[in-house]
Amino acid sequence: MFKYSYDALVYADEPIEKSIRRVAKFGYDAIELVGEPDQHDTAEVRRLCKNNGISVSSICSIFFGPERDLVALDPEMRKKAVGYAKSVVDFAAETGAPTINLAPSPVGKLVAVGDKQQEWDLALESLGEIADYAEKAGIRTCLEPWNRYETYFINSLDQALDLAKAVGHNNLGVMGDSFHMNIEDVDIAGNYRKAGDQLFHVHFADSQRAAPGAGHIDFAPSIQALIDIDYKGYIAFELLPAAADPFATLKSGRGDEFLDHYTRMAIETIKTVEAEVRR
Amino acid sequence: MTAIKFGASTFIWTSPFSNDTLDLIDKVAGAGFDLIEICVEDPATINTKAINKRLLHTGIGALVCGAFGPDRDVSSDDPSIRANGIDYINICSDIAAELGAPAVAGPMYSATGKTAAVSAEKRAEQWKWASENLAFSADHAATQHVSLAIEPLNRFETDLINTVDQGMELVRRIGRDNVGLLLDTFHMNIEEHSIPNAIRRAAGKIFHFHSCANDRGIPGKDHLPWPEIVNSLSDAGYTGPWVIEAFNPEIKEIAKAVSLWRPLAVNQDAIAYDGLKLMKSVTSDAITGDKII
Repeated sequence: MFKYSYDALVYADEPIEKSIRRVAKFGYDAIELVGEPDQHDTAEVRRLCKNNGISVSSICSIFFGPERDLVALDPEMRKKAVGYAKSVVDFAAETGAPTINLAPSPVGKLVAVGDKQQEWDLALESLGEIADYAEKAGIRTCLEPWNRYETYFINSLDQALDLAKAVGHNNLGVMGDSFHMNIEDVDIAGNYRKAGDQLFHVHFADSQRAAPGAGHIDFAPSIQALIDIDYKGYIAFELLPAAADPFATLKSGRGDEFLDHYTRMAIETIKTVEAEVRR
Repeated sequence: MTAIKFGASTFIWTSPFSNDTLDLIDKVAGAGFDLIEICVEDPATINTKAINKRLLHTGIGALVCGAFGPDRDVSSDDPSIRANGIDYINICSDIAAELGAPAVAGPMYSATGKTAAVSAEKRAEQWKWASENLAFSADHAATQHVSLAIEPLNRFETDLINTVDQGMELVRRIGRDNVGLLLDTFHMNIEEHSIPNAIRRAAGKIFHFHSCANDRGIPGKDHLPWPEIVNSLSDAGYTGPWVIEAFNPEIKEIAKAVSLWRPLAVNQDAIAYDGLKLMKSVTSDAITGDKII
């Protein structure tokens, strides 16, 4: 059976203890932590995970804002962004998370500042440096494509694979999030298959970004593809409210269904699909 | 069952449509489409006489869709922008009437790209403005024997009407017989629990249909459940046109407006030509099968 994780991103500002208890209660193997090292006490996270019998699957890096832009033209800003990614690597190492995700350019940046080639070259440089650093720490890194409304840089898994290939570092793979792929990729399962052993991490969410089962994605072919490529990573559920800015929705106090209800529904739905596929 | 009429949007190749791009009418007709959907980005560039001449010459028909920027927002806080929104829709209705198009289509309830999270009170106010102002536009359109086909957009393009259910509620509140929905499969793929079921729930109020790929590339060369979509449109009694809408990533302004950062086919022609072939194939397969006739 695959290992399952739930991304604490949607739990917003709740105490980490509550989040860890919740995912443990619903049968998860792990939790995915938000990539804000300053907001976590890693010793406490380790203790809480141990007490609740779960691991940290991954760190969800938060590439947001000009200081976290790996292709920033200003070398100082770029250095800050690379420094941020390295701090996430350290955070992963301290919490026992094997994998972190990377995005070349921050969410919400929809226009290139430099020309395409220049930014591409800067991406290769920054990503190579982070992948090197992470390798020494024993952490794997993977590129996450986001849909067209969140970034101009890489939207489809094909583009992520191209970028990873151009960096050419064995410690840099890709990850595929089914919510983004439902918009950008014409064959979700086929693209997981195509990524093969370069697929380091997976995010599942249904078509409208709620728990699998709430939308129309048929996850069976994707599960079959993950089995066929001998995927050893986690299936992590990254769910978010239906809004251009889901965090504003969460801040306004809406989104209760993402707590117990979707946490339970996501793992139940996909474990059922997995059992059927494996039968 | 009457044959489905297929159309292509001018957005596949150009923006804005004008006298300089009249050749598109010949191109679309030559490709085998029955209809060309003309987007009225700037009414001043639309020469209905010249367009009609080409339409007559090629034998295809016209459809009209609107483009709703921040200055044409019937649910804006600013009364002058709301008024401008109404005026613009009315002009589009006049253009539609002159071109013999049955409807003005588009996300006419708000400015495309307006996605701020707002309070419940503000949201209620926007709904009220949209309902009242679109009723004015519907009444004007009725004098021109034109309908309004309101298009729900996905969450990243609007915060007001994302789903068929919200669209049906808006149609109900506007309360005019000549107001219905334009359903676009690209948006439905993101927002609907089930595309076919959402289509069925809109029965009787589907005034227009955009058959777009999940990535806005070539429809049919994607992961959407086309046979089920055909069946659900049939169940809903929809006999109107199927229009392929896509955008040209080479045109910076439009690419930015719809967040299109990469080509989705070898070229724009492929989206129209291959798309038409595939859409003809899925509709005829379904129609000749046992399930429909």
